[in-house]
Amino acid sequence: MEIAVDIQDLTVAYGDKPVLWDVDLQVPRGVLMAIIGPNGAGKTTLLKSTLGLVKPAAGSVRIFGKPYEQQRHLIAYVPQRSSVDWDFPTTVLDVVLMGRYGHLGWFRRPGRAERAAALAALEQVQMAEFAHRQIGQLSGGQQQRVFLARALAQDAEIYFMDEPFQGVDAVTERAIINILRDLRAAGKTVVVVHHDLQTVTEYFDQVALINVRRIAAGPVHDVFTEANLRATYGGRLALLETSRVAAPASSAAPAPGD
Amino acid sequence: MELFTDYTLRTVTIGAMLLGAISGFLGCFAVLRRQALLGDAMSHAALPGIALAFLLTGQRDPFILFVGAASAALLAALWLLVVVRTARIKDDAALALILAVFFGFGLVLLSYLQRQPNAAQAGLKSFLFGQAAALIERDLWAMLVVGVPALALVLIFWPQVKLVTFDPDFARSIGLPVRGFDVLLTVVIVAAIVIGIQTVGVVLMSAMLVAPAVAARQWTNRLETMVVLAAGFGALAAMAGAWLSTLGEGLATGPLIVLMMSLVTVLSLVFAPGRGLLWRNLRRRQVLQAS
Amino acid sequence: MSPQLEVQLIAVIVATTCTLPGVFLVLRRMAMLSDAISHTVLLGIVLAYLISNSLTSPLLFIGAVAMGVITVWLVELVSGSRLVHEDSAIGLVFPALFALAVLLISRFAGNVHLDTDSVLLGELAFAPFDRIVFFGLDLPRALVGGIGTLILNLTLLLLFYKELKLVTFDPALAATLGFTPTLIHYGLMTSVSLTAVTAFDAVGSVLVVALMIAPPATAYLLTDRLPRMIVLSVAIGIAAALSGYWLARLFDVSIAGTMATMTGVAFLGTFLFAPRRGIVAQVRQQQINRERFALQMLTLHLLNHEGTGNAGVECHPHHLIEELRWPASFAVTIVRRAEQKGLVQRQGELLILTEQGRQFADAAIVA
Repeated sequence: MEIAVDIQDLTVAYGDKPVLWDVDLQVPRGVLMAIIGPNGAGKTTLLKSTLGLVKPAAGSVRIFGKPYEQQRHLIAYVPQRSSVDWDFPTTVLDVVLMGRYGHLGWFRRPGRAERAAALAALEQVQMAEFAHRQIGQLSGGQQQRVFLARALAQDAEIYFMDEPFQGVDAVTERAIINILRDLRAAGKTVVVVHHDLQTVTEYFDQVALINVRRIAAGPVHDVFTEANLRATYGGRLALLETSRVAAPASSAAPAPGD
Repeated sequence: MELFTDYTLRTVTIGAMLLGAISGFLGCFAVLRRQALLGDAMSHAALPGIALAFLLTGQRDPFILFVGAASAALLAALWLLVVVRTARIKDDAALALILAVFFGFGLVLLSYLQRQPNAAQAGLKSFLFGQAAALIERDLWAMLVVGVPALALVLIFWPQVKLVTFDPDFARSIGLPVRGFDVLLTVVIVAAIVIGIQTVGVVLMSAMLVAPAVAARQWTNRLETMVVLAAGFGALAAMAGAWLSTLGEGLATGPLIVLMMSLVTVLSLVFAPGRGLLWRNLRRRQVLQAS
Repeated sequence: MSPQLEVQLIAVIVATTCTLPGVFLVLRRMAMLSDAISHTVLLGIVLAYLISNSLTSPLLFIGAVAMGVITVWLVELVSGSRLVHEDSAIGLVFPALFALAVLLISRFAGNVHLDTDSVLLGELAFAPFDRIVFFGLDLPRALVGGIGTLILNLTLLLLFYKELKLVTFDPALAATLGFTPTLIHYGLMTSVSLTAVTAFDAVGSVLVVALMIAPPATAYLLTDRLPRMIVLSVAIGIAAALSGYWLARLFDVSIAGTMATMTGVAFLGTFLFAPRRGIVAQVRQQQINRERFALQMLTLHLLNHEGTGNAGVECHPHHLIEELRWPASFAVTIVRRAEQKGLVQRQGELLILTEQGRQFADAAIVA
């Protein structure tokens, strides 16, 4: 089994507060993996340091065996929606076109081929009719789909997403998970920072439980257990309903304000 | 129009229009990056640079003064960056502090210069309020030499500049040197400031960066159109201001330009279709009536 | 009193008067409003002058203060439209108002002593020559105005200290408790406006901003507690004012400019050398942290990998250099420190944790 993302001993600190300690994680090729953990546990930081957005204090990240700097063209990133100013004067199509900039290089401008690729990506997320809408005029779910389309336009092998299901309507959520499954069917690898414990078993093949350290990682049915969840969330869990978690049969949701 | 036939007036008008266009264009990035007040601070901070440049060289040559102004403004920007990143002073306090201290130091230098037996230094004080009426051809050339490369840089790297301004994290993830572009954009804004101080002065400069961009934003949803519109508004307002100042005694050109530009902005905010307040009000009434 | 003494007294009083509202401007992240207000009060003065046709009418004062408050209101109006961000709103409003003021002056009041220069520059040296008779005493106008404003600001501060503190640090709570944050907000802005007007005749707009913002910002680097911050700000402001005066006299340059520069010097000095938050202190602390941090990383790494299959590789000192990205010399130093502290031991080529080291690692996770 080929390893798409190989994270070794990753340690990240802000000032002298460690956010990630000595994390090891292997993401096999072609899986849908969720990264789960309480707020402030380092999930977004894990994503960002894998992409080189945050400098780790120690450790390494390899993409298909090579350092990530050399493999940027194989990676696509869907950041959190809150990370941009949606009043920015740009259209939906423009944003998706930005996904092609990595392929264009420095001095070429996007041409017909790029526009076609962008429109195709928009078709995939069912947003083609919004191509010339300014991005601030979209709903939350639509904005998320635009970000997703931008990532699809990057035509990458590995997709990193930061809470793509956060605050979207049910229709959008269904659309997104279908696209993720299509990606997996096409042999792509998808790593998702996920906020909703209820849907982990339904949506993902593998899961990594992170709370500053790696608590556990692997196939969902092996790893998504009550014991592991308790270890991740530090015992602050509310038991809700059954059959959401691998045996023993009891489910959990994170308490708010973690 | 005598604006363009009379030599002095023509120089003033062209200079003002150049300023309006260049600062309108480049100011869009200051506004979009929420650095409107950085422009204000940097333009105040330029004063000691101008004074020092004159002090050291004894010449009122625009190129030399530009260098002085730009150096001081960049130093201020750098200082701001250091303070905000390392101390727990927030950016607004740091801006106000740097603005006042640099400017105060500039006043010290100016007052020292006043003791000098040199007539040319009198012109320096007009940097506070601009000296649009005193522009000469050499000043215009200086504006072009500084402004055109700045514009060119932005245009050459347009896709990257747009992406870095909109989504720096994504830009970094595809390998763009975001930090480098931050520096580039700051330098480019300093270029606009340095040009503008000559015409409208230190205090009013921030308006020439901010107002055209804000006005333009109300009329379009595309960055490409916005920068062109902003340049257009800036040039137009400048021309109107220059013309108005010929109509009577004691009508200072710099303030008139700023007032014209502010008028355009207010009109845009109210009347622009789609975003403007009037339109929004009408829309709301329509919705209420329909229900 | 000699003129020199009067000037220094005025400087001290103005410094104190300015820093008081300045503390709250800094804490509420509204510092740039002081810049805006200190410029737009000129428009109020001009308009009032044009209406009253007199330079001594009290309307001037009222107009100036009102204009300051109107400025704030306009900024909020513009940014409240949600079409413009707040910083752009400030950058729009105050230059427009200031431009109007300059225009009106140059057009209608060109030969009156309403010198635009003095708005920005002020000239403290002339203050002793502008005198009024107040309750039988012959005093500089700036001194009377300054004392009046100081008393006002002090009174407001003492009366509304609780409310100011609450509204600054927890506006939501303040609202639920029935204090109108808006009232306090505009009260503060009126105070700022008043202070700017009384001060700028003597020292100019720029120094007003310097005195309002720089001493509180400096004090903020020295303390966390509001009362201490206020006292320190005033002390720093006074020190800057007095030292500025003497230096200006020494070099025969602008007094206001030197005072402003001295506030900057005070800030710079504190920025570098403040006990906990200064750069020098931070660098030293970082070095201490780096070592502690590295020891934690080492022990945690060993804890993670001890007893596992690849312990032979992971627990080898060479691996530290590779995977932990430590320079060779650093790795050697840290390992030696760890051994010195009894956290690790050598077992042949490998490093293993001692019991103390294991506890150290465990403590690191909890912290």
